Amino acid sequence: MSSWKPLDKMTILSHYYPRIEGPEKVSGIARYTYDLQLPGMLYGGILTSNVAAGKIVKVDTTRAKQVPGVRVVLTDIHPTGTIRFAGEEIAAVAATTPQALEEALRNISVEIEKNAFVVSTEDAMKPTAPRVFADRENVRKPRVREEGDVEDAFRKADVVVEAEFRTATQVHACLEVHGSVVHWEGDELIIYDSTQAVHGVRKDVASFLDISPRKVRTVCVHMGGGFGSKLRGGRYTAIAAKLAKAANAPVKLMLTRRQDFESVGNRPDSIQKIKIGATKDGRLIAMDAVSYGSGGISGGARVRLPHVYKIPNWRYVHHDVYTNAGPARPFRAPGSPQAAFSMDQLMDMVAEKLNMDPLELRLKNDPNPTRQKEWRLGAQKIGWQNRNRKPGSDAGPVKRGIGMAASVWMTGGRDTKAMLRIYPDGHVEVRCGTQDIGTGTRTYVASVTAEELGIPLKKVIPLIGDSDYPYSGASGGSTTAPSVAPAIKNTADKAREALTELISDKLGVDADEIQWKNNSIRVQNKTLSWEEACAFIEDEPIEVHGKWTEGLSSAGVAGVQFAQVAVDTETGQIQVERVVAVHDCGLILNRLTTESQINGGIIQGISYALLEERWMDPTTGTMVNANFQNYKIVGSRETPEIEVILYDEAERGVIGIGEPPTIPTAGAIANAVYNAIGVRLFTLPMTPDRVLEALSQQRS
Amino acid sequence: MNNFKMLRPENFKEYSIAQKTVSGSKLPFAGGTDALDLLKERILQPDYVVNLKRMADLRGIQEEKNHVRIGATTTIAELAGHPVIREKFPGLQQAAESIATPQIRNMGTVGGNLAQRPRCWYFRGETYHCLKKGGGMCYAYVGLNKYHAILGGGPCFIVHPSDLAPMLIALNATVHLLNAEGKRRKLALKDFFQLPAQNLFSETVLQEGEIITHVDVPIPQAGNKNLYIKFKERETADFALVSVALSLNMRGNTVKSGQVVLGGVAPVPWVVKEAESLLNGARLTEALAEKVAQAVVQRAQPLSQNKYKILLTQNIIKRAFRLITEA
Amino acid sequence: MAQRNKIEHEGVTRRDFLKGLGTGVLGSVVIPASPLVKSVKAASPDVEELAGTVSIQITVNGKVHKVSVEPRTTLLSVLREQLQVTGPKPVCDRGECGACTVLLNGKPVNACMVLAVDAENANIVTAEGLAEGGELTEVQQAFVEKDGLMCGFCTPGFVISATALIKEKGTKLTLADVKAGLAGNLCRCGTYPKVFEAVLTAARRIEEKGGGV
Repeated sequence: MSSWKPLDKMTILSHYYPRIEGPEKVSGIARYTYDLQLPGMLYGGILTSNVAAGKIVKVDTTRAKQVPGVRVVLTDIHPTGTIRFAGEEIAAVAATTPQALEEALRNISVEIEKNAFVVSTEDAMKPTAPRVFADRENVRKPRVREEGDVEDAFRKADVVVEAEFRTATQVHACLEVHGSVVHWEGDELIIYDSTQAVHGVRKDVASFLDISPRKVRTVCVHMGGGFGSKLRGGRYTAIAAKLAKAANAPVKLMLTRRQDFESVGNRPDSIQKIKIGATKDGRLIAMDAVSYGSGGISGGARVRLPHVYKIPNWRYVHHDVYTNAGPARPFRAPGSPQAAFSMDQLMDMVAEKLNMDPLELRLKNDPNPTRQKEWRLGAQKIGWQNRNRKPGSDAGPVKRGIGMAASVWMTGGRDTKAMLRIYPDGHVEVRCGTQDIGTGTRTYVASVTAEELGIPLKKVIPLIGDSDYPYSGASGGSTTAPSVAPAIKNTADKAREALTELISDKLGVDADEIQWKNNSIRVQNKTLSWEEACAFIEDEPIEVHGKWTEGLSSAGVAGVQFAQVAVDTETGQIQVERVVAVHDCGLILNRLTTESQINGGIIQGISYALLEERWMDPTTGTMVNANFQNYKIVGSRETPEIEVILYDEAERGVIGIGEPPTIPTAGAIANAVYNAIGVRLFTLPMTPDRVLEALSQQRS
Repeated sequence: MNNFKMLRPENFKEYSIAQKTVSGSKLPFAGGTDALDLLKERILQPDYVVNLKRMADLRGIQEEKNHVRIGATTTIAELAGHPVIREKFPGLQQAAESIATPQIRNMGTVGGNLAQRPRCWYFRGETYHCLKKGGGMCYAYVGLNKYHAILGGGPCFIVHPSDLAPMLIALNATVHLLNAEGKRRKLALKDFFQLPAQNLFSETVLQEGEIITHVDVPIPQAGNKNLYIKFKERETADFALVSVALSLNMRGNTVKSGQVVLGGVAPVPWVVKEAESLLNGARLTEALAEKVAQAVVQRAQPLSQNKYKILLTQNIIKRAFRLITEA
Repeated sequence: MAQRNKIEHEGVTRRDFLKGLGTGVLGSVVIPASPLVKSVKAASPDVEELAGTVSIQITVNGKVHKVSVEPRTTLLSVLREQLQVTGPKPVCDRGECGACTVLLNGKPVNACMVLAVDAENANIVTAEGLAEGGELTEVQQAFVEKDGLMCGFCTPGFVISATALIKEKGTKLTLADVKAGLAGNLCRCGTYPKVFEAVLTAARRIEEKGGGV
């Protein structure tokens, strides 16, 4: 088993340093998929259904084909002809300009035999509701998990709390829409894709087109956000490939903003009915939970209950519910923010009933030793001792409060390979088929190499985002860093061995007489600089291949967050003023980009807590807020002061931190709101209307 | 967007020639921040866009003896940054600064802000053939209406999105119009707007081809206090959930006269008519604010999801009175 | 032309207009409003009409370009599709997100909400045009150093807004000023805290240097 060098010997890793593609991005020259323009390229687009359910009867493209500039119109792109949500593909066009494309798409007339539909989860659960799939009930067979003896435990419980929580459907809303630029070279397909998985896209698109993955190459140099929605190949890419083939020209097909909202993923909503039992000394002993949620025409709405706390007897029954809405896709810690919202509020409710400090209750019931330390540290940083002891006791209309919630995630490393070349001029090129989704992957591919070889960062050229490079998996599940970093280290170690061997050959000394110091190589009594050492390489660069190895990464990550809010009881507005986030990060590859990741998770969490909600019109079954005016995400003024505490556990090796920081935020805010106003919010997002409603109910 | 043609008149004369001699549907266009949204969504597909940006007479802010004249194509940013506005009409500056984003304020115009179309998600969505677009139903009434009207609604339940209008009405502004024939008229800005019950298809009295040339705002008498409060669901940038424009002519702690106008709650900027009698000669107290707030909401008729706006409106009115007392 | 003169005698004259702008006495010579507009098809002989494709001149990052556009073509479309200036990003296409922010005659605007014909003869600056001689500006440098970016898709827009903010409000900025100045730019990765830090750092450094943005 290999291991990382001690922290105090590290000169780059575990330090603060800027991401290497920063200059390109700040000067607007970094090219994303949306920016590419290939010679002779056509603009592709898809006509999607604005009907929520029905059967495609007829598609007439006569007028569309007459629009000047139109090169191809395809009508055979829907796999079954049965429409189950507004946003499904009906026809596709490739044209010479975006204007001609739009004109042509508008001139396709579609006849759909409409069926009854249902877009709300609650409505879909009614026995009389229209069926989303003719052959299946809308409410799917429950998935049951159970441990211990739940009924018996509730009988023994001294206190029982029970509540129903609701969370809204959240849409990824990546700034760069999903889309691809595709180009056939003979029978080989080159895909430039905005993706989190260059290898995955190759596999999926090859399968859609029924061609060999050997004939497909995917490239993604920069991409404008994914958050889980770009983990797989898209049908839009296969459609673009069909258009390109028919037109014999490259095609750029980017979804419209509306299509991106409707059809390429979401975090399903949830209705969670949960009962918790505890003993009077504050030990949780029982949980009984039932949840419903809809991932539209897909599943995936399960909540990660029972969250982080140790409950010996629990039962969780989950029902996925079909609705006529776009399918779910993984969204940054699927199922977990929902669980923190419900369970961490229930913790506070139990604590209140027991007249116990919520922090103490957590320390009693949280089995994770890291989080035990994090709770204490976070409480101290936020000033937990100075909180409102009595919820809602602030004078005046604006009331402040503090709350907390927990985070847990699996992460862990897996198969990744890399290839490294050392050139005679001392430059090092590293290739790895991973991708940088804004997380700093490219930068640590370079920095791990530089650290291991003892050379400056600028000597390393990291090449990623290409399925022709050695395999690495999708950037999902917070697995990228623990997968990629060990592979790079292993490869760099092999490169050093290869260079040592070469020097030993050239100088005729034994390999063990060659000693690597930090920035130089000792050979007998001489010291060689890196450049001098590399000068031994002649025509053929040193080329080595390495892979992920055990011992350099870990699974499992724990974190806590505390939020301080100000609630305006006259307007119902919640302002998050401050967040303290303590997350264990194992060996931190780059403190700067890690802090950014944690900021980002928290800010998405605030957005989820306070603003984001997909609204489906009951009359037409379409999304009414498929735009950034009414699908509201956090902006500059909703951003609080954030204190990120990176809880180093370097001995654990590399762990992923992409998802964990978005898990506890909504739960912590909800508890802070209760602490501020003495009224609990059970529904996300906690918008002013809901806050005012809750306050009114309390008064009456 | 449809492939419209563009007319670029340079003065009033050319404008009316354009209107009279060129046949086809025409959309007056200045800052474009509202018009382009409607064009891109194909809510409007005019034959011509009549670009007003080269009409120099429409632009700029001038201080006259008794009023300030604000040209229709003056940008929101120019309005917000103008020293005369800052000095005489703090409420108008607050209203201007509350609009959208820095970028939009650099493009959007005063005339456009008054004549903009509603932001109702059904009206703005191409899919929905709603009443306002000549269809047979109000989707909001039966559907999603959390952002819709609690006052003056029916048969359409939009809210008027303008921030300038409530404040300008509270300041007794007059709007000046130029019609397609080249004729001018002026009217009190409060009379510029009309309810859906009066005209379903237009939120203003603007006739086909008629444009706003400028707005005159009387310079307030000594003792005037004015302010604008806008409550947004998303503070960074949003349309108003509820806004209050307040202008009070004070003598000491006594209100001589005053106006309360609301945004975000009705299909027009909602002049609180009851306020006039309540305010005249009253002392500026919390009780007065409470009375005005009560008067407003007594008439409210909320829809299925916007009942919260009643309480919110009351609270924002009371807050406005509190702030103006402190000012 | 004769028709035009007639109008001028009747009402508001172009001379008055030009005087108003301080361009001085031009005698009776009428300056065409738009010398580069080629396909002016006069439906009315008195009013300029643009139809089909017209040719306009715009200056982008210091370079003068002649481009052919339709009246409906947006500035964003010209920049990206015709000039391959792809720093301004298409995200919302409605002026809601700020990813396509450019400076138009020094002021930040959403290029998706500007018609190209309205940018005729204008001076446009995008993120690509800020750095002089290949050296990043203080604002850009601070964004890199403080990590005011993640996926980077919103970054060129933020950089332009931040640059405009310091130009307009000066270097003595509070956090509230920065939040107000950046209120028209959305980021989905949640980089705001580091962006704020970057803008405040850049402002401080510019002040220390006593230089421009």
